[in-house]
Amino acid sequence: MIEAFFMAISPSYLFYMTIGVLLGLVVGTLPGLTATMGTALLVPFTFGLPTGEGIAMLGGLYVCAMFSDAIPACLVNTPGTPAAMATGFDGHPMVKQGRGQEAIVAACFGSALGTIFGAICYLLLAWPMIAIALKFGPPQFFWLGIFALTIIGSLAGDSILKGLAGAAIGIMISCIGISHAAEVNRYTLNIPELRGGVSLVAALIGVFAVPQVLNMILNIKKEEFVAEYKSEPGVILSTIKKVMSTPIHNLRSAVIGAFIGILPGAGSPIAAIVSYNEALRWSKDKSQYGKGDIRGVTASEIANNAAAPAAMIPLVTLGVPGSAPAAVIAGALMLRGLNPGPELFATDGSLVYSFGWSLLIAGIVVFFIGMFATPLLTRIIKIPLRVLAPLIMFLAIIGAYAIRNNIFDVYLMLLIGVFVFLVRRIGFHPGPIGLGFILGPIIEPNLVQALYISHAVGVQKVFFSGSVNLILIALSILSVSAVAISKFRSKNNTN
Amino acid sequence: MKISLIMKGITASVFGAALLLTGTTANAAWNCKEVTFIVPYSPGGGSDQMARRLQPGLEEALGVSVNIVYKTGGGGAVGFSELHRSKPDGCTISNVVVPNVIISSQGEGVGYKPDDFAYIGMTESSAGALMVPQDSPYQTIEAFIAGAKEKPGMLTVAGTGGSGADRWAQLAEVLGIEATYVPVSGGVGKMMPMLAGSHVDAAATGANHATKHKAIVNAILLAGPNEVSTLPGVPTEPDWNYVVTWGIMAPPGTPADYVEALNAALNTAASAPEVRDALLKGGYVPHIQTVAEVNAFMADEIAKLAD
Repeated sequence: MIEAFFMAISPSYLFYMTIGVLLGLVVGTLPGLTATMGTALLVPFTFGLPTGEGIAMLGGLYVCAMFSDAIPACLVNTPGTPAAMATGFDGHPMVKQGRGQEAIVAACFGSALGTIFGAICYLLLAWPMIAIALKFGPPQFFWLGIFALTIIGSLAGDSILKGLAGAAIGIMISCIGISHAAEVNRYTLNIPELRGGVSLVAALIGVFAVPQVLNMILNIKKEEFVAEYKSEPGVILSTIKKVMSTPIHNLRSAVIGAFIGILPGAGSPIAAIVSYNEALRWSKDKSQYGKGDIRGVTASEIANNAAAPAAMIPLVTLGVPGSAPAAVIAGALMLRGLNPGPELFATDGSLVYSFGWSLLIAGIVVFFIGMFATPLLTRIIKIPLRVLAPLIMFLAIIGAYAIRNNIFDVYLMLLIGVFVFLVRRIGFHPGPIGLGFILGPIIEPNLVQALYISHAVGVQKVFFSGSVNLILIALSILSVSAVAISKFRSKNNTN
Repeated sequence: MKISLIMKGITASVFGAALLLTGTTANAAWNCKEVTFIVPYSPGGGSDQMARRLQPGLEEALGVSVNIVYKTGGGGAVGFSELHRSKPDGCTISNVVVPNVIISSQGEGVGYKPDDFAYIGMTESSAGALMVPQDSPYQTIEAFIAGAKEKPGMLTVAGTGGSGADRWAQLAEVLGIEATYVPVSGGVGKMMPMLAGSHVDAAATGANHATKHKAIVNAILLAGPNEVSTLPGVPTEPDWNYVVTWGIMAPPGTPADYVEALNAALNTAASAPEVRDALLKGGYVPHIQTVAEVNAFMADEIAKLAD
């Protein structure tokens, strides 16, 4: 492992990894360019490099995109990738209050912490962690999805009912297309393009970017900018101090992120959502969440970054990628005739470990590049709305198109966007709708598979026995009842 | 008005010059700026590996870049119907998996028939295998049969979507057992952790997957008459007709010239020694086919599944 460390700090490793990080900064910042797409586009360029440098570059891109997707989430309330949805819940209100630099610095520092934690898990705890991850089968994933849904209680704002309705709409839209379990069309209205389903990325751009742009246009006479741009000299140090003052919160976010990252099929978006929900549950003062609490930003960013190196753990222990970008990295290894999995650990251990070290160092590089770029990036909000609104719209259309090279996705994105813009006016929050999009593909197929298994062994045994099931059910009940109690109390107080 | 006329003139002369430059060799021949390669299954699965193995060879043979795009879902039906809708200009191709493409077409309203497509060639095949987790109590096929007979319908077997259901039904009939089939979405990438964690008792999928995941699963039965060199000592079941064949196809109505051009490029890519080596090590049987051969093969397979 020490030898692998020296490999990872060799100039060529550092050079290519840093290039990957810089590319990741661009990929993550642009909505529609996801980490998966970025790594997939980069793979052919790594063929000329030795394997170690090649995957270090891909890894650098992956972890940096998990930071930079927070930039548009904070500045213009449009997540750069699905993983940054929860970052915007508090990040954007912070920007609105003129705390733009603080939000970005917190996201960047949190991302660095998360990446380093995830990489340490990869280097030291891969085998024990994967043993726990294997306890997750279809029913457990179903309950994990339900548990993540309980965050609606804290997101929905005034009306839980509207939150639930929003999430239900999101889940139903995610079910459009040919079903995963059998070849059956659902809600496709005989439109052939809908058979392939609604692209998650395009849908999220619709939910967040389009209403944002429409609001900007409506307010253009009243406001000239998204928010006031303030540059404070000591902001980097004071923000880092602020983030470091919540060590337990940081550790909890990192553990949740690393653990959910390791589950094949869950990934960074779910890690960020669950972490945000837990941050809210355990904090004493919940009043500022959703209104610009720095802990909301770090909860999401620490978790989605810790999930990235952790998603490599199932790849090197089982040969199964833990996330879509990890699958692309697996493909890059297989093309070199390497079989990622337990044998690779035995035959090319130094490669497996040097990759882990590269990810760890990438966390540090992300921090420094982020610090350097923050003042520049935050200046985006100095762009007047009359220029910014069309610019965001332009990027939204390009992004929705680029994800599958399909113009139909652009129409869907616009349709969903206008729909969300309208329902916001009657008190719906876009968060639950986006949540439905992300969680639908976890909840629905796993529910179907678990039901098939229950034909053999019974519903009770599949869904309601086993420690993981019971813990997730208990957490879900706890989460729902906590919201119910606080609503009940606030009602009594006003009476 | 004037400007647009001038623009038209410029465009026409540029176009004419381009025609002159390319000369007569480019008449109706295959001519794409890039090729889109649709992979109808998750990244990291068998079809993805195939596409990525062939990608460099295809790019070299065709002289353009080959872009891989994933269109997953419905046991491959999403990707296949996407290809079905694509322009037949020879610039979009996809993996074809047989018999998945035939079985999935029988689904309600999928919108394609297997004889619609223009087949380019089959490159590899792999026999089916029944596999169990390493800590399973059923480490031989005899033990599995005994277990299933003891608890009819209570053992679970995972497979890929609707096509997997038919394959499992066939084996269950041959073995005279009953078990519950569990369709897994998104290909084998999701199936292996389910199996490794013993969330299902067994999985029925290709011997190539049993080879790749030897470290976490054990194959206990192979389909067809032949042993597989990467899985020595695993018994065979000649009456289980489960062979998966992989190849490449193009949208319906792709002109014959383009199909021939793509076939030539595919065969060049597939005969590269590193591709063949990778296939043999991975538990596959490599194939090289002419267009006539692939059409005969497909007609045969479609007829077999028609009844």
